[in-house]
Amino acid sequence: MNGRWLLKRIGMSLLVVWSTITLTFALIRLMPGSPISRMRAELYQQYGATMTQAEIDRQVRLYLNVQPDEPLWQQYITYLLDTFQGDLGHSYVQGIEVTVILADVLPWTVLLLSIAIMFQYTIGILLGASMAYAEGSRFDFLSTSVSTFLVSVPFYVFAFLLIFFFVFQWDLFPQGGKYSTGLEAGSLAFYRSVLYHATLPIVSLVITGFGGIALSMRANSIQTLGSDYIRGAQLRGLSNFRISYRYVARNAILPLYTGLLIQIGFLFGGAVILEQIFSYRGIGYVLLDATLYRDYPLMMGTFMVITIAVVVGVFVADLTYGKLDPRIQTGDSQ
Amino acid sequence: MSDASIENEDIPLEVVSDVDQTWQDTVRSLVNAYVLVPGRIMITDYRALLGFGIVFGYLFVGTVGVWLMEPTTMWDGDRLVQSFETMAHPLGTDPQGRDILTLLVYGTRPILLMMLSGGLFIITIGTAIGTVAGFSRGRLDQILSMITDVALTIPGLPLVIVLAVTLNPESPVLIGILLAINGWGGLARNLRSQVLSIREEDYVEAAKAMNVSTGNVLLKDVLPNMMPYILYNFMSSMRGVLFASVGLYYLGVLPYSQENWGVLLEQAYSGGALTTWSMFHWIFWPIVAVVILSIGLILLSQSTDKLFNPRVRARHE
Amino acid sequence: MSQQVVAQENILELRDVTVSFGMNRGVSKVLDDVSIDIHRGEILGVVGESGSGKSMLASALLDAVVDPGTVDGEVSYRTDSGETVDILDLEDEELRQLRWEEIAMVFQGAMSFFNPTMKIRGHFLETLKAHDQDVDEGMEHARELLTDLHLEPDRVFDTFPHELSGGMKQRALIALSLILEPNVLVMDEPTAALDLLMQRSILTLLDDLQEKYDLTIVFITHDLPLVKDLCDRIAVMYAFDVMEVFPAGDLSNSTHPYTRSLLNAVPNLTTSLDELRSIEGSAPDPVDIPSGCSYHPRCPLSTPECEQEDPPLEEIAPDQEVACWHHEKVDEELPLALETSDGGSAEVYEGNQSDEPVVVMDDIEVHFETDDGGLLSLFDDPEIVRAVDGVDLEIYENDVVAIVGESGCGKTTFGKTAVGLQEPTGGSVRYRGQDIWETKRGEGTGDRSYDEIRRALQIIHQDPGSSLNPNRKVSSILQVPMKSWQSDLDVEDRKARLLAMLEAAGMSPPEDYADRYPHQLSGGEKQRVALIRALLMNPDLILADEAVSALDVSMRVDMMDLMLTLQDLFDTSYLFISHNLTNARYLAGRAGGRIAVMYLGEIIEIGPAEEIVQNPQHPYTQALHWSTTDLDSNSEGEADESPIRAIDVPDPIDPPSGCRFHPRCPEAREVCATEKPSLDSGTDHCTACFREYSEDHPYWDSEPLGEETIGAHVGGESS
Ligand code: SF4
Ligand code: SF4
Repeated sequence: MNGRWLLKRIGMSLLVVWSTITLTFALIRLMPGSPISRMRAELYQQYGATMTQAEIDRQVRLYLNVQPDEPLWQQYITYLLDTFQGDLGHSYVQGIEVTVILADVLPWTVLLLSIAIMFQYTIGILLGASMAYAEGSRFDFLSTSVSTFLVSVPFYVFAFLLIFFFVFQWDLFPQGGKYSTGLEAGSLAFYRSVLYHATLPIVSLVITGFGGIALSMRANSIQTLGSDYIRGAQLRGLSNFRISYRYVARNAILPLYTGLLIQIGFLFGGAVILEQIFSYRGIGYVLLDATLYRDYPLMMGTFMVITIAVVVGVFVADLTYGKLDPRIQTGDSQ
Repeated sequence: MSDASIENEDIPLEVVSDVDQTWQDTVRSLVNAYVLVPGRIMITDYRALLGFGIVFGYLFVGTVGVWLMEPTTMWDGDRLVQSFETMAHPLGTDPQGRDILTLLVYGTRPILLMMLSGGLFIITIGTAIGTVAGFSRGRLDQILSMITDVALTIPGLPLVIVLAVTLNPESPVLIGILLAINGWGGLARNLRSQVLSIREEDYVEAAKAMNVSTGNVLLKDVLPNMMPYILYNFMSSMRGVLFASVGLYYLGVLPYSQENWGVLLEQAYSGGALTTWSMFHWIFWPIVAVVILSIGLILLSQSTDKLFNPRVRARHE
Repeated sequence: MSQQVVAQENILELRDVTVSFGMNRGVSKVLDDVSIDIHRGEILGVVGESGSGKSMLASALLDAVVDPGTVDGEVSYRTDSGETVDILDLEDEELRQLRWEEIAMVFQGAMSFFNPTMKIRGHFLETLKAHDQDVDEGMEHARELLTDLHLEPDRVFDTFPHELSGGMKQRALIALSLILEPNVLVMDEPTAALDLLMQRSILTLLDDLQEKYDLTIVFITHDLPLVKDLCDRIAVMYAFDVMEVFPAGDLSNSTHPYTRSLLNAVPNLTTSLDELRSIEGSAPDPVDIPSGCSYHPRCPLSTPECEQEDPPLEEIAPDQEVACWHHEKVDEELPLALETSDGGSAEVYEGNQSDEPVVVMDDIEVHFETDDGGLLSLFDDPEIVRAVDGVDLEIYENDVVAIVGESGCGKTTFGKTAVGLQEPTGGSVRYRGQDIWETKRGEGTGDRSYDEIRRALQIIHQDPGSSLNPNRKVSSILQVPMKSWQSDLDVEDRKARLLAMLEAAGMSPPEDYADRYPHQLSGGEKQRVALIRALLMNPDLILADEAVSALDVSMRVDMMDLMLTLQDLFDTSYLFISHNLTNARYLAGRAGGRIAVMYLGEIIEIGPAEEIVQNPQHPYTQALHWSTTDLDSNSEGEADESPIRAIDVPDPIDPPSGCRFHPRCPEAREVCATEKPSLDSGTDHCTACFREYSEDHPYWDSEPLGEETIGAHVGGESS
């Protein structure tokens, strides 16, 4: 792989993380009625005169990673350094370190979303390619219409419908939670229960997500099918199978990557709503909780971690893209 | 096509006309270009027509509809009247006896306002940043591209939540903008690469040779080529704002002064509307309102390409 | 080759082959009852203009017409063992085996023939596997083929398609088409997108390959002169049918009026410039082919008989068939211009150049930094492409200067610098004595405003598809120049003026053309609109960047004539850029202008047009001259040896030391690799080569750098 290109991607990722940290710092420190003044006011109210100004500042520092009496740039540097070392402050409500809370919930969200993405793309790509091969047929028309319809439904709407039918009407799936209690962690029954609980959230993402992918895959494949190298491959007598996977699929998938990069961010954002609907305690759930309780340190920390998760996801996707498209490696990107 | 016919006295550089164009002519040609031709193209495409009808219908409800209907209050009707039972409450009532149809109609306006302001914000910022980045070489382009990439990567919904909680905006217009705060990244990135290729087109260079100002080049030569994509993006951005606003209202993190579909959804969900058939209509109708509007926008957006394609236009003039 | 085969045997016989497409306007026959024989071991050239059905002929040979077209008739192929099969009757699997094993095809758009996500090696491997061949043996053969085509097998195998230049890709594709050792190779415009010198070099190699591997080649092209020396016989197509077949050696063998007119319309290096005539009218629509002889509406010899009855293809001499009622009268009525001309001295158009230069360029340098514009490119050391490296040129009033060179030689960049569209990184460009870029920055001393300079320098581009904004109508496009500098004109005046100009350029009725979008114009019409647009600025100099290259051969003369006529009326000069010496000769020659030859960013020879064409001094100019076939010569089936030592142009990022041409120059000696010859000045005709230096120059005592030229080491048995 091209070293320069790799360096570039890493630089970009760091830049995004840095921007997010700066943004949260600005929100905490600079906004009127900011978390700092709120926290001070609350501490003052709570402890009144029993707490010295210095003590209040110490508390603020502990929770928000910000030292209110230092000059602004110094506060910023401290905040930046602390954050980069993995210190995201303490939860205001729960009193424990933000990182501890998040380390506990992040894997669940990642699990949910990665399975969903996998299914979305597998179904979308296969369906889109078959639609392209059958261009103009009834199957194509039907699938196109259904895909278009599914794109117009927000995923949470589908989640409601799933809950209504599968949980309350037919009682097939649990309404919420991540696994049944009382199971030994690591046992087979435990994993089964985990998947069982994750089914509905994943289905609602997959159903509303594959349509758009199928539609773009269809368009890309049709374009690829009309290209000269497909005709050349047919003349050279290659098998249809080889042409469809090594020629059509390989080239039609490449443009989907731009969508994937946006999709990763979209899903992590959507996790807030999804996890609330299914009472699934992942990172989105924690963000919402923190928001409703005005737990600023936890809120900002969660936001940062979600961003980092997206950045990592995008980075990984980028790496695989570099593997698939030779034009990237030599630096002649589109 | 013989060239021998050209004589010296034919030199056409001196020709002037003796007719004057009146302002009526100008108006007529403008109407033709922006109303009649798109209209004629649309009529040939039932999907576009359907999409246009849906979106226009919502606009009508959101503006005129509100004037035609009395607002509903508690105990307007019995609690939980089912849909299609009485003419007084065609879609039924909620557990407090409020008319669901009226709630939906009154909820349309703030949603439309949010979508419009968010959509406009996205295409304005996206177009501005994308075109400027694509048209300027070097440092400015690099900086703008960097900002675009950052906006593209930071996950939207969490950012909006964090901002909404910190800033606490109330007006639908501001909320719309907030919801769209980093939604312009995709558009800007795509337009940048489009501009990069259009800039290399020969006719842009010819315009430069003819001393046409950069502003005019952008307006007359670059923008028209991107118009279909920008319009398409306008529609899909509005759809994105719709989804996000309803979702966030449902979560209860956005402040509101007037109930909208998302708020209704939240009330229905926490009121247990999903648990039994008898309350299902309470949550069902807000969902339908969202989905149909979204379908309308998609259908309309699929036809934008045709409206601007000179090959299609030429056939409808 | 044909003359060596004692009993001529037909390897392919086409009988009444018809290809039709159902369209909503009616059935469109894009190949109309074609019958022709292809001899074993010959090279058959199939020549026709775009839309003549020649590509369909290629597809029909392999039963590879794209849906929804249908093929009828009979295509019989005789195998090595003497069996005859009808290709159109084959089962899918039989057809799959026949293709590439017996008949291989290189079709149009070959540049995108390779899968962009697969290395070149993969293409060879999968083809061998798909046909159950021994892979090791096959790859050995592939290596040999690539070497024959002057490519390094190991390097090429390991690259992705986008990393190869056009010429390399084309040669790799020829190797790929020969990997299964087919008997027949069908090539559809395989070189059309390449520079002339590269085209000729490839043809030379092809000639050797044909001999070495005993191939039958069907070579389809729009460019008759190009293939004349390569082919044994030439078939001319018009309106979806074959008009005549004749032995290629001597073009005066042709007896069809269309072929004659076509030959008389093609600019070349020998025909007297005044003899060139374009063909009136345009080729017919496939839905609506004229009755009788399809050429009769344009044929000068047409009689009522021709309108009634379609002449059959009849044999008039061995190897020669023609479909024309009056072919005996052709020699008398339509003599070949190159025969009547007296060896090429052309009558020079009355140029009225003054001594006052309009644009003076002094030591121009344009260096580009390669930069992908992305993030962090701030940290990289950019590579520098020296597009133009120290060039001087003066352009006078009513002058025509043609710049000739291969793609990548910097000619376009140089041209754009001349009209102030590209800022030079070194040197100065002056318009009537005033520095353009200083004026633009407001530092100049002259009294002309930048606007005035800008108006005076205009451009016409190469690609008709991109030179007009697809979203604007012709009338709106043509109003831009007038809005720019004649603000006193109102809309109606502008319209009246542009209509008059359209009329003057032969586009009538002008109201109809003014109301069209660019996609409703033909390529030639688009170029006319672009020319009018430039002229409406009333410029002093127009840069015409390959302005006719994209047009069909018979349209080029038309366009250039229009340019010359209008030059006279508008008092303007042209800087004409071309990769083709013949077009340059036509335009510059008729106006009494100059030709400058560029190589890797430098002008290496410049002089009066006829001088350069008839008496080229620089070895590179001689190579370019070689690449333009001599229509007059009577050599048959034998493309002569190339005068260059390497086919590919070196990388302009790292140009060769000394004389930049030395790695390819057949005359290069050791001195050439270290020292750089300068363009001698003082005379009209200047050349940058040591061979022009006096006897005491060290060149003459230096050791030659190498003898072999292209073609010499293919097969070893070349004549
Ligand atoms: S048959 Fe008649 S119309 Fe046709 S080419 Fe011969 S002379 Fe011309
Ligand atoms: S200077 Fe030497 S290498 Fe260059 S063209 Fe002349 S002979 Fe050839």
